[in-house]
Amino acid sequence: MSLLLIVLLPLLGSLLPSLSSNQRRHQCALLTAAMPLIALLVTLRETPGVIAGEVPRLAFSWVPALGLDLALRLDGLSLLFVLLILGIGLLIILYARHYLSEADNMPRFYAYLMLFMTSMLGIVMADNLILLWMFWELTSLSSFLLIGFWSHQSAARKGARMALAVTGMGGLALLAGLILIGQIVGTFDMQTVLDSRDVILADPRYLPALLLILLGAFTKSAQFPFQFWLPQAMAAPTPVSAFLHSATMVKAGVFLLARLHPALAGSQEWLYLVSLTGLVTMLYGAYFALIKLDLKTILAYSTVSHLGLITMLFGLNSQMAVVAGLFHILNHATFKAALFMTAGIVDHECGTRDIRKLKGLWRYMPMTTALAAITAASMAGFPLLNGFLSKEMMLAETLETPLLGGLAWLIPVLATIGSILAAAYSLRYVRNTFFDGKPRELEKTPHEASFPMRLPVLVLAIVCIIIGLFPAFSATGILTTAADAALTMPAPELHLSIWHGFNLPLLMSAIALIGGFMVYVLRQHLFTFHRQFPSRNSLAIFEGAVQRLVRFTQWGIDTLENGSLQRYMLWVVISALAVSGMSLMGIETLKGELAVQKADPLLIVGAAITCFAGLATAFLHRRRLISLIMLSVVGLMASLAFARFSAPDLALTQLAVEVVTVILLMLALFFLPQKTPKESSASRIVRDVLLAAGFGGVVASLNYALLTRPLNSISDYFLEHSVSGGGGHNVVNVILVDFRGFDTLGEITVLCIAGIGIYKLLNRLRLFMPSSDSEGRPWSPDRYPMILASVSQSLLPMALLVSVFIFLRGHNAPGGGFIAGLVTAVALILMYIAHGVEWAQQRLSFQYQPIAVSGVAIATLTGVGSWAFGYPFLTSAFGHFHIPLIGDVELATAMLFDLGVYLTVVGATLMILANLGKVTTSHRPSKQKEKA
Amino acid sequence: MLDFALKISVALFAIAIVLNLYRVAVGPSLPDRILALDTMYVNSIALIVLFGIWLGHRTYFEAALLIAMLGFVSTVAVCKYLLRGDIIE
Amino acid sequence: MQHLIILPVLLPLLTGVALLIHRGGALTLRRTANVLSTIALVVVGVLLVAESTDDAIRYYAVGDWQPPFGIILVLDRLSALMVMLTSVLALGSLLYACAGDDEQGSNFHGLFQLQLMGINGAFLTGDLFNLFVFFEVLLIASYALLMHGGGKARTHAGFHYVALNLLGSMLFLIALGILYGTMGTLNMADMSAVVTTLDTADLGLVKAGALLLLIVFGLKAAMLPLYFWLPRAYAAAPAPIAALFAIMTKVGIYSIIRVYTLIFGEQAGPLANLAQPWVWWLGLATLALGAIGVLSARDMRTQVAYLILVSVGTLLAGIGMHSEAALGALLYYLIHTTLVSGGLFLLVDAIAQQRGKAGARIVQSRTLAQPAILGLMFFAGAIAMAGLPPLSGAFGKAMLLQSATTAQQHWLWPILLGSGLASLIALSRTGSTIFWRASGEKTGVTLGPLRVTGTLMLISCAPLMVAFAGPITAFTQATAAQLLDRDAYVESIIARGDTGGDA
Repeated sequence: MSLLLIVLLPLLGSLLPSLSSNQRRHQCALLTAAMPLIALLVTLRETPGVIAGEVPRLAFSWVPALGLDLALRLDGLSLLFVLLILGIGLLIILYARHYLSEADNMPRFYAYLMLFMTSMLGIVMADNLILLWMFWELTSLSSFLLIGFWSHQSAARKGARMALAVTGMGGLALLAGLILIGQIVGTFDMQTVLDSRDVILADPRYLPALLLILLGAFTKSAQFPFQFWLPQAMAAPTPVSAFLHSATMVKAGVFLLARLHPALAGSQEWLYLVSLTGLVTMLYGAYFALIKLDLKTILAYSTVSHLGLITMLFGLNSQMAVVAGLFHILNHATFKAALFMTAGIVDHECGTRDIRKLKGLWRYMPMTTALAAITAASMAGFPLLNGFLSKEMMLAETLETPLLGGLAWLIPVLATIGSILAAAYSLRYVRNTFFDGKPRELEKTPHEASFPMRLPVLVLAIVCIIIGLFPAFSATGILTTAADAALTMPAPELHLSIWHGFNLPLLMSAIALIGGFMVYVLRQHLFTFHRQFPSRNSLAIFEGAVQRLVRFTQWGIDTLENGSLQRYMLWVVISALAVSGMSLMGIETLKGELAVQKADPLLIVGAAITCFAGLATAFLHRRRLISLIMLSVVGLMASLAFARFSAPDLALTQLAVEVVTVILLMLALFFLPQKTPKESSASRIVRDVLLAAGFGGVVASLNYALLTRPLNSISDYFLEHSVSGGGGHNVVNVILVDFRGFDTLGEITVLCIAGIGIYKLLNRLRLFMPSSDSEGRPWSPDRYPMILASVSQSLLPMALLVSVFIFLRGHNAPGGGFIAGLVTAVALILMYIAHGVEWAQQRLSFQYQPIAVSGVAIATLTGVGSWAFGYPFLTSAFGHFHIPLIGDVELATAMLFDLGVYLTVVGATLMILANLGKVTTSHRPSKQKEKA
Repeated sequence: MLDFALKISVALFAIAIVLNLYRVAVGPSLPDRILALDTMYVNSIALIVLFGIWLGHRTYFEAALLIAMLGFVSTVAVCKYLLRGDIIE
Repeated sequence: MQHLIILPVLLPLLTGVALLIHRGGALTLRRTANVLSTIALVVVGVLLVAESTDDAIRYYAVGDWQPPFGIILVLDRLSALMVMLTSVLALGSLLYACAGDDEQGSNFHGLFQLQLMGINGAFLTGDLFNLFVFFEVLLIASYALLMHGGGKARTHAGFHYVALNLLGSMLFLIALGILYGTMGTLNMADMSAVVTTLDTADLGLVKAGALLLLIVFGLKAAMLPLYFWLPRAYAAAPAPIAALFAIMTKVGIYSIIRVYTLIFGEQAGPLANLAQPWVWWLGLATLALGAIGVLSARDMRTQVAYLILVSVGTLLAGIGMHSEAALGALLYYLIHTTLVSGGLFLLVDAIAQQRGKAGARIVQSRTLAQPAILGLMFFAGAIAMAGLPPLSGAFGKAMLLQSATTAQQHWLWPILLGSGLASLIALSRTGSTIFWRASGEKTGVTLGPLRVTGTLMLISCAPLMVAFAGPITAFTQATAAQLLDRDAYVESIIARGDTGGDA
């Protein structure tokens, strides 16, 4: 349980600062520090046990489907890192308290910092690969927030984005790699994975998994060629750099190498990939650390270099090298965090980090100078300091490596060169900043930093010295434990001491220090040499690349989505054509078993007329009214066809819908621009004709194929049960209102919504009407022709009577609510046409929306009514009743439902047409003319 | 005998519809086309009535009646469009 | 309660109708009625999910006409899940809308409920023609809602939306005609039985119908190359409606899952799993295109719209992977993406309101009035959508990655992870521009409690889905198992011993 506390307390700590305010800075810092402090105490309580060889573990099942458990462990490796993270973290909290200015939002800063700390602790303690990955990505995210903390600076924003993109990419690769490992091993449990080296190495997926995992580790630890994000992340406040970019986040990559060392290392691939990458990075970073001019950038490149060193050590496939790597992790964290803090102090007190402006600061800040000198000496590998010890171990290991075979001598030589550069840049960091004359062009007179700000540096410097002087006493215990864990076997016996006698590594160390001094003295030649290269800013390059990518995607999307509906339709039609055409090609014969009906002359004539009218509609589509008339002909012929094949009710419905559609289209046509749009290009016409012909052909073939095949369908059931179950002889109507009444309910809802939607669309729309028709003739002055008015008025009662009749008999004979509704609607529309909106509205003084909606309501409530009798929704009932005066009448609940249909059809149709008609009413230019 | 008469009359009405279509297609003026469409409705009604006689089904007569009404409204709407542009004003 | 299954349809229908009978009326009353009804819907959804966990498949025969003759509504784990998901998303959107968006035009509340009725109906129905009807309901209602508030961009995008979808409806009808013409039945369970007894001469026809259906569902789901209606429509829709629309693409996804596991599933002989290869490749293409779109977006709404496209591609690829594990994973991902992208639409709108003239465009602008809460929610939403831990998107994606077979890994992994990276880059640019590059006076527009509640409710699903990932994935895995157990489904619905529609 204490393991959970170690992770969760800092998480709690990320919430606590928000309780405090920006003004109460002490309180805020104390609140923040409390949680990691407790966590540190908890860890320390566990420490003796861990050093004695126990591995406290804890596991809860979380997402079995993902293989994810909430599993934590505290082995030696974790312990080393936990102590580093919490210890340095606490120092950073103290440092940041004094570093941040009044303008910075301190609670927010601490919240981010604690979030980061949590995720870092999670990585090092995770006992499940997926859990490890989760915390891994969380460090990328929280470091994004921390690097971009000074969000008003462009460099901070861009640096943060770049760091996130690079480490985020690595994290995604890592996920892939870890899943591969999980699939090879069969579980994501850490211990099982660590114990399965033989299985993993033998698997063909080993190499891809290794590459992906290394991609994750290398991006995080800023290894070549992904080193470029780290110097740009220096835009972060210095406490962040001191924490993330020395002790923790960048160490996550090397931690992963150490953690998975038992499972992945040992192969040639590992040896070459890891150690050579490390070596190149070490030299690359060291070189640039010597060249750069900004204090923090220098430190950043030196971090890159040291991480390269550690990576190389882990890659050497030697147990002692792993120990050396772990030792250097510890040492680097101490001196580099301290150095970053001194750089922060300089920046804080002088207002600049430019090494050209800073000189001779020892006069103003002697204490800081001393601390910087000690820690830099450790970085340089000066004897009696901790950096010396691990560096010498490193040099000793490079002598042993089988890497590069016959060229193996190259490795120690290059390592020594790296150390020479390290000594040189350490010297340069201290001498150019704190000595070498007097400062120039400083904005303010520097003075010594306050004690609390120096305290963390002091602590770390003392640690450097203690480890340097008494390595066996101070470091052997934890280091051996950590190495045990990283090797999953007892580590080779470790003899840490300052003096091993005169040997080759000692000579190399000496060469490194002397060489470093020489290089420093001769540095100007190096700078001159370096100036020949064009300077490149990785931030600008990265940002430029992203912007080019964005522009490229914009071009791509704009090209694809050009806003043309025709093109979008084209894609849909082509897709439909492709799939249906392809399926049809798979059929041997289109014709089924049924014989084809003989074509009589009448049918041929009808078909010819329909074809002709259909084609004419398409060809004449630019002469809209004629096209519309042709469309009416098609509708009429379809209706005749229904009549010819014994479906008079369908014929009627078809025609009624046809008429309403034509009126609707004419209402819309009126508002279309009078000018005929440009004729399409010839190639486009060919394309469209081909497409239309193709689609028509496919649909016709489908129809033909279907109609010539016999069908066993559920329709026979409807025929049988129409009277007995639905109480009606008109099967079509019974299907509509009973068997499939639910569909009808849905469709009348659609109709109702359509009406409301059109009202919504039009109710604020006012269009001006054109003053003349398309051929330039003025409109007739006779708005409501007399004959039309009188004829239509006499038609209305008849039409209403007919519609009531059709409605009532609908259940047994052709008719029903739908047709009746349409007839009523058409008759009422005629009133609008003949007399105008104002006249009609005076007489039909009700709103149509309530009518349409209440239609749906009646239909629904009819359905709900059956619940009262214990039946499902829409169960119908019917019976024969004797009503005085009228006689024997069959009544069915379906009729009530049909009434709903009727009302909806009437209401919705009129809502649509009347609303369209109203669009111009108040803005007619002709009306204004009349008034004038 | 009735069968024969029916066939003849159906054929005649079919021809009439074809001729109507010719007028709809050729025009030359819009009123010509509208009038032709209206006539087409009339001829269709006749055809439907003939179907009714042929199949001996009363429903067809009712359908014909309704189609007459709907056709009338349709023609009225087109005419109004021609005259005023805005059919509901 | 026996009528529970139909309540997700009837409840919104009745509420909608009651709200629509009069156009005017007190706004508070309408809001209250709508919210209460939606809360009731959430309760019904929860009850349905609870009922479905015993793995029995229940049906409700509308009009007491037994299958395969009448229309039935079917309750299984998947439909229960989708109904509940819809209601939760709706509640969040609605709360946000009640802060003022509903006043921008007429009849908002009634149409909102009818929209829910359409969506729920589509999820519940066990009848293919009835599915068409509900597609129509939700299409027309969504069109009306898309137009809510008016404006040129909306009208334009709405026209494309409705025109393409009507074309889709037409294809749906053609497909239905073909399928009924060959199988003689419309009940999906019955079709599933009939398809095993098909005459070989009819196979090509059925295949044509089945693939046409795929085009229709693909259009609804916004599958490449049928997605063109989506980016502009979603970007132009009023925020709460765009948020609700997050479920619309999922209707297409749902239909694909349902039809191609039930009717054209393993048992369908030569037609078995005929859609999956198509869905797999087109899904991957959609995923890649969505990622490109996310990078290209010039304003936040469009960006979220393309994020939806990314999730659609992911889901389709998951369907194409065609395994129980993949289905379970994609259902988890589906819940996540629906809720979080809905929340992001609301959030982006809230942000845009505080940015003065810049609106949703990704350019430098004025400082937000409430950077802390908006920033936190944006950060969470962006992480979840990009699929990074510790939020739900990462879980969904990781499960999908895991469920890929070796052959599928070569395609899925680079594209899915690459799209995650593209989203990450794009969203980090957006976030830093909006929250970090802002300068100048605050606009003074602040977020009311309703808007905060609505947005927070949806965004907070991301962490909640992580906390309860265990039970949720257990449910989705069981759902996947149930979906692939097609025999149990058919047996629970068609009681007859014989198969085929020869009644």
